[in-house]
Amino acid sequence: MKIDRRLLIHFDWVLLFLVLLIALGGILNLYSTSQSLTSVGGKPLFMKQLYWLGVGLLVMGVTVAVDYRFMVRHAYWIYGGIIVLLILVLFFGTIANGSQRWLSLGGLSLQPSEFVKIGLILVLTRYITENQIGEAYEIRNLIIPLGLVSVPVLLITRQPDLGTALFLVILSFSIIFFIGVKRKALYIFAATGMTLLPLFWLALKEYQRDRILTFFNPERDPLGTGYHIIQSIIAIGSGGGLGKGFLKGTQSQLKFLPEQQTDFVFSVFAEEWGFAGVVVLLALFLFLVLWGVRIARNSRDLSGTLIAFGATALIFWGVFINICMVIGVLPVVGIPLPFFSYGGSSLVAMMAGVGLLINVSMRRFILQP
Amino acid sequence: MAKEKTRLTKYDPGTFRRRFDVIVWAVFIAFFFLAGKLWFFQIIRGAELKQRSESNRIRFQEIKALRGLILDREGNILVDNTPSFDVSMIPEMAKDTDDVIERLAFEEDERGSRWKRQMRKNGGRKPFVPVRLERDVPWKDLALIEMNAFQLPGVVVDVVPVRDYRFGETAAHILGYVGEVGGDDLEEKAVVRYRPGDLVGKTGIERMMDRELRGESGGEQIEVNVSGRKIRALGIKPPWPGNTVMLTLSARLQEISWRAFEEKAGSVVVMDPRDGSILAMVSKPSFDPNLFNRGISGDEWQTLLDDELCPLQNRTIHGLYPPGSLFKLVVAAAGLEEKIFSPEKKVFCSGSHTVGDRAFRCWSRYGHGSVDLHRAVVESCDSYFYELGTQLGVDTIARYASLFGLGRKSGSGLPGEQEGLVPSREWKLRKMGEPWQTGETVSLAIGQGFILATPLQLLRAYCAIANGGILFRPRLVDRIQSSDGETIRKIPPEIECFLPVDPANLKRLKEALHGAVHEERGTGRLLKELEKTGVQVCGKTGTAQVVKLSRDEKREAEEIPYKHRDHALFACFAPYRDPEIAVVVVVEHGGGGGSVAAPIARRILLEYFLGREKVKPPAGGKVLPSAAIGGSG
Repeated sequence: MKIDRRLLIHFDWVLLFLVLLIALGGILNLYSTSQSLTSVGGKPLFMKQLYWLGVGLLVMGVTVAVDYRFMVRHAYWIYGGIIVLLILVLFFGTIANGSQRWLSLGGLSLQPSEFVKIGLILVLTRYITENQIGEAYEIRNLIIPLGLVSVPVLLITRQPDLGTALFLVILSFSIIFFIGVKRKALYIFAATGMTLLPLFWLALKEYQRDRILTFFNPERDPLGTGYHIIQSIIAIGSGGGLGKGFLKGTQSQLKFLPEQQTDFVFSVFAEEWGFAGVVVLLALFLFLVLWGVRIARNSRDLSGTLIAFGATALIFWGVFINICMVIGVLPVVGIPLPFFSYGGSSLVAMMAGVGLLINVSMRRFILQP
Repeated sequence: MAKEKTRLTKYDPGTFRRRFDVIVWAVFIAFFFLAGKLWFFQIIRGAELKQRSESNRIRFQEIKALRGLILDREGNILVDNTPSFDVSMIPEMAKDTDDVIERLAFEEDERGSRWKRQMRKNGGRKPFVPVRLERDVPWKDLALIEMNAFQLPGVVVDVVPVRDYRFGETAAHILGYVGEVGGDDLEEKAVVRYRPGDLVGKTGIERMMDRELRGESGGEQIEVNVSGRKIRALGIKPPWPGNTVMLTLSARLQEISWRAFEEKAGSVVVMDPRDGSILAMVSKPSFDPNLFNRGISGDEWQTLLDDELCPLQNRTIHGLYPPGSLFKLVVAAAGLEEKIFSPEKKVFCSGSHTVGDRAFRCWSRYGHGSVDLHRAVVESCDSYFYELGTQLGVDTIARYASLFGLGRKSGSGLPGEQEGLVPSREWKLRKMGEPWQTGETVSLAIGQGFILATPLQLLRAYCAIANGGILFRPRLVDRIQSSDGETIRKIPPEIECFLPVDPANLKRLKEALHGAVHEERGTGRLLKELEKTGVQVCGKTGTAQVVKLSRDEKREAEEIPYKHRDHALFACFAPYRDPEIAVVVVVEHGGGGGSVAAPIARRILLEYFLGREKVKPPAGGKVLPSAAIGGSG
């Protein structure tokens, strides 16, 4: 396929600019946390994140250049490849903080569970586009897609990384519900969900149950698990209207705030920039999500719509769940804030998602219905 | 390509229009929900949460004031502060505290379990506030802790000042010691705000002068990180160090007295009769006040408490003894003042004296013959005082005893001073429900029976005889100085009263006391040795019976059980003409006053006057006039 000049003309500069703005804001925020913490390798984390942003841009280049329809056609291969990586993690993965999530490739640590998100978007798109029935799905139509979802979900639960597993379920269901399911199927989902809940509780590890209990009552263990939520809310609230100023957040700089470069990175931002900064950041994310919805809406084919919708959902749920987590609305389940939380794999996966959006966005003009 | 085209033709973008509208709304709602939540935390609860973030990071750390010094009259340091090392633990940093404690105890299980209890006691403290495990840790252990620091997370060593009692047990009782403020201290001293954990004087000068010595603690506002580590100081209020207390005590005399007393039980107290200043105060057996720095262990404390000789007791003010023959001077003063006996009146002593139908023995079984007042004091003739006492009656004797300061606190200000006891008819009826017996008056006349006095009370009475009738309040503190050595105020001598005794009579008593040392058959002749330093001494021996033994039963001291042996007493002052030093020695169960207590006084006076001659230039020889009258007795 030759490069069409129209592709360059219709390249979604707005989206790229928006994403770079958010990502650079995130790196600046990481710079602030690096004032008090240094990574093990000695290199400050924000520098590492900057490199990862470079890697992310390269990956994005690929996901922009390759026609999304080509990707959808090879979705099962991509999906299968990522599943293989997940299985490898279970055998050869690096253990950190009690779970086995990383694959070491040379000097790089990869977290395949992040890339599953992209893989799932593609494979669901592939399945749905191939199995259109012209109306809402019934439960029997959903057996295969649910199977496709459950394989990585179970593998990730084994790591264990409950948050990411749940995130995958939410992401997949967003796509499936978007296409539409029969009411009867909805009831069945609800009923199975209810029956599985107690089993799920039993399957949880001690610390996971602890986290959930603490979520309902943070003061239950103010020095342990609840400490994180309390300190996070103190950090956010103490930022007030205008914030304490860049590099001046006492909660983060004095390390009262735990996990401040990953899960609680938003709290650092909120403490230093206050409500004003938070509103700007939320507006940028909102703009990004709406922009994604617009791309999905304007796509000329179903696969484009589904891919764009999936990528947008990926960003939206990341933002929504993470912020709910740090303000105590949801339990702390380890979902990173897109473009803000430190983590190479997460950033690269997000950039790949953005690439897919740009991909769909710029190809709508060359695809004639 | 064809396959894709067919798929595309099936797609109608309008299919999802309504769905997209719903999604857009949902996204808006979600973001407004987040914004609303953040508004609630940052704007509505902002101020409160800001406060919490401040209290997270800002701690107030007390800076304890350095306790004031205690000096002797020449400015020698008696009590100082010295650095000591406390070992504490921050449980949050140790994680498994029991495990760390076991390693810290270095295989001493007893210590380990004590520390574990200590940790459990400190449940309700703020996070990251250290719990103190052990005070005043010796160097050897500190070195071990430093060497193994890596295996001891959360273990911290603090430098804290502790009291350094330079004279150790020599001056333990008068100086006292400090300890952590206890429940009763908190209550008693409600005026001063003590915090738990503050050091407070427990006894002696430390307690008496606590308000001067303690100073005022300051504080520091510090910013801490999550580990409670200090990041920087935000504000500081410097502590106000305690004032220096300069005592009237002479370190030199204290040591002399201590050494002179040797290993007996009892008390030596030395006073300047000219102003009531206490020059030395020794009580034996003693204890090492530096033990209390470490927070004395239960065992050590119990040993001190269980000791039959009560080493914690300051015998000078707590010890109650029958004054024995020392009391005869009071009876003599009463006799002269009440004009019962003229000074020339003679009583015949045959070795015993009959009062009513009962014979009372004089201490000398051969008798003193015909004695007047002077001889009676010189030879300490009991018969004379039996006669005089019976004629005076118990109540008159009691009145004079009170005049001389017996039966009430001397007013030294030292905590826990005893009042002693001066018996009277009324007292006996009230206490025992029995009328007074004449025989008891006989006993009282020679300082036996119910009467009890502290060595300090006796000294005060003798000083009044020495200085011509001024009853001083014992003066312990000479002045208060600020921590940089400027005098804040001087404590003037305090006269409690002038004895309503004719100076001529007092002079007679003084001469009699002089005679007791310098004349033939004087009971205190040992002190005559002081003449070699050109000083003449006045003194009186006393032997106080603890258990009534008939004189015939008198046995060798060694045969009598310790607890039943007589107390040996001696009171003296010198120089005769112009007394500047007065000493009372009490040796518990020591035996005879002349043979046991007097040598101690002799040694103290000898060293005092010999040393003084060395120190003072000959020009300031104030002693010479008194030397000139040598032999006048």
